[in-house]
Amino acid sequence: MTTDTAPQPPPIETLPTAAPSRGYWSEVWLRFRRRKLAMIALGYIGFMVVVAVFAPAIAGTKPVVCRYKGNLYFPALGYFNSKWENPVFYHDKFRREYPTNLKEKDPQSWAIWPLVYQDPYRRVREGEWEDRPGNPRRDEGHPNRYNIFGTNQAGVDVFAQMVHGTTIALLVGFVSMGIAGTIGIAVGAIAGYVGGWVDILLSRLIEVVICIPSLVLILAIIAVIDKPTIWHMMAVLGCTRWTDIARLTRAEFIKLRDSDFVIAARAVGVGQLRIIIRYILPNALAPVLVPITFGIAGAILIESGLSFLGFGSPPPNPSWGTLLNAGRTNLQLWWLVVFPGTAIFLAVLAYNIVGEGIQETTDPRLRGTGR
Amino acid sequence: MVSYFVRRTLIGLLTLLLITFLIYGLIRAMPGSPMTGEMMDPSRRLDPADIARMERAFGLDKPWYQAYGVWLTNLMQLDMGRSLHQKQPVVNLIIERMGPTLLLSITSLFLSYILSIPMGLIASIRAGKTDERVMSTVLYMLYSFPAFVAALLLQILFAVRLGWLPLLGMYSDDFASMTTHEKVWDLFLHALLPVTCYTYASLAYYSRFIRSNMLEVIQQDYIRTARAKGVGEVRVIFHHAFRNTLIPLVTLMGLTLPSLLSGSIILEQIFSWPGMGRLFFESISARDYPTIMGLTLMFSVLTLLGQMLADFLYAVVDPRVSYH
Repeated sequence: MTTDTAPQPPPIETLPTAAPSRGYWSEVWLRFRRRKLAMIALGYIGFMVVVAVFAPAIAGTKPVVCRYKGNLYFPALGYFNSKWENPVFYHDKFRREYPTNLKEKDPQSWAIWPLVYQDPYRRVREGEWEDRPGNPRRDEGHPNRYNIFGTNQAGVDVFAQMVHGTTIALLVGFVSMGIAGTIGIAVGAIAGYVGGWVDILLSRLIEVVICIPSLVLILAIIAVIDKPTIWHMMAVLGCTRWTDIARLTRAEFIKLRDSDFVIAARAVGVGQLRIIIRYILPNALAPVLVPITFGIAGAILIESGLSFLGFGSPPPNPSWGTLLNAGRTNLQLWWLVVFPGTAIFLAVLAYNIVGEGIQETTDPRLRGTGR
Repeated sequence: MVSYFVRRTLIGLLTLLLITFLIYGLIRAMPGSPMTGEMMDPSRRLDPADIARMERAFGLDKPWYQAYGVWLTNLMQLDMGRSLHQKQPVVNLIIERMGPTLLLSITSLFLSYILSIPMGLIASIRAGKTDERVMSTVLYMLYSFPAFVAALLLQILFAVRLGWLPLLGMYSDDFASMTTHEKVWDLFLHALLPVTCYTYASLAYYSRFIRSNMLEVIQQDYIRTARAKGVGEVRVIFHHAFRNTLIPLVTLMGLTLPSLLSGSIILEQIFSWPGMGRLFFESISARDYPTIMGLTLMFSVLTLLGQMLADFLYAVVDPRVSYH
């Protein structure tokens, strides 16, 4: 009754094998790419980064590249750091006015100018650039041909201020959340992994920092420092916003520290620090990215708010918040409110959309649904 | 459960002590003093005896940790000191400013809950359809719109351009001479813009919150069972589904407690609303230490209470959770 031609299993080489898994982050990126809105928001953030990096080349009164007396200079970098503007322009008494002085002092000089000849720190005077009239002052600065977003009461162009304000906003967002993320992840990881009295102590520390009204802390620290710069403010913002990240990291670490792969690693003899950094942290990172992204939006809002109240970095400070503050004193000058307000709104919206996109694409519960 | 909360309270008191200690040290370290304003005034010449007397009165002659001890002992006797700037007891000042802030925050809390629950429920019922997606996008954009920009834009539109609403403040100049009916109307007009700015962001947030929680709950098996049994759709939504989304909503309520009383510094500044946020701001600028300490104490107490309230409500609403 038995057949001796029982079906043979196919030889191993022709068995279909599953494709190697793409890895968690590639899958996340693929899912993220399919969400049109999140990709548009990411594109807008990329656009803002480009504007921020090339701000002196977009709007400024200093040439991007110029050849003066036989040497090549990049005066526009002076917008980032005043020490990067070469002292030769100071010795030759340029007084920051490049177009006429370049032509006078060295007829063979050439320069590549920014796209828009306006300065975020001062008013452009008559006769500086070809036959353009000086910037209007006080109440006459509505948007016109030379100042596409208008000018504020001192005559400083709004478009230039907004372009350079993008640099400040993005810098504040990234640096402060970078600091906050580092502190938060470190504190949360240690609290979650070690447990015991270290955990109790660190949790109380987190509670204390949460309960301190952040405005008092920020204002007090800024007032204590002698010459507050934008970097001090970023450090202060970073040191006050790490608590949410710490709590989330701690919860993730508590969840993961008893999982099988960690026990296996410990059994094999992997050191504690290596376990934290190379084993648990990559798995805990995904939910933490969400409050970091929302935190960048929040940091931009706080920085605008502080500049609006007058507590940002000292003037001249081309932040979006200072423009709003200027608009507040005279509400007839609507361009001082509408344009910076739209910029803040779009930046916050973009970060919120990206944050929500990350939240939904990294959620492991949705992994099987393909959305 | 009682012992858990007793323990939390004791730890909370310790936290409060630490916070007030830190804040006092920090604000004493700030340059400038309550007398800077008066010393700068050239028309008043203060001789050193006067300055020393003022310093003693303000408690500035002692180093900060000693002065903190003095403040703490006074606090134990329920005396929060006198404001240096306004020359009134701090408690009176706080009570005076609390009313306007509460008016704004409680109204906006009320409005945002009453409006967001139906909106969230409707959004979850009609999820995926075009009108719901449009509404969700609009709500999302509202949520991202910064409140102070909205305040300025609303001021420009309604107060400056159209002139329908007053620009600043809580009362008109001739408030005292109005009839009660006119007073109420005046208050309403003045409060309209601030309440709008307070409400729209939380409204958007809560509606989205309710919507996403409801979407999760509606997919559960017991909802399918209820529908299969023939339960009406309204009862399914309200009686079965909505109740299970209450847990996170209720804990959210506890966490918004501190912001009820602290007010928004920026919004109150924009609308010149005489509330707690503005008091905070003014006292920091004037280096009014007793007021700052009183406000900080209140704010920290509220934050800790809010967190405990959120945990407590969580235990009440969710029968699976109990604290030992």
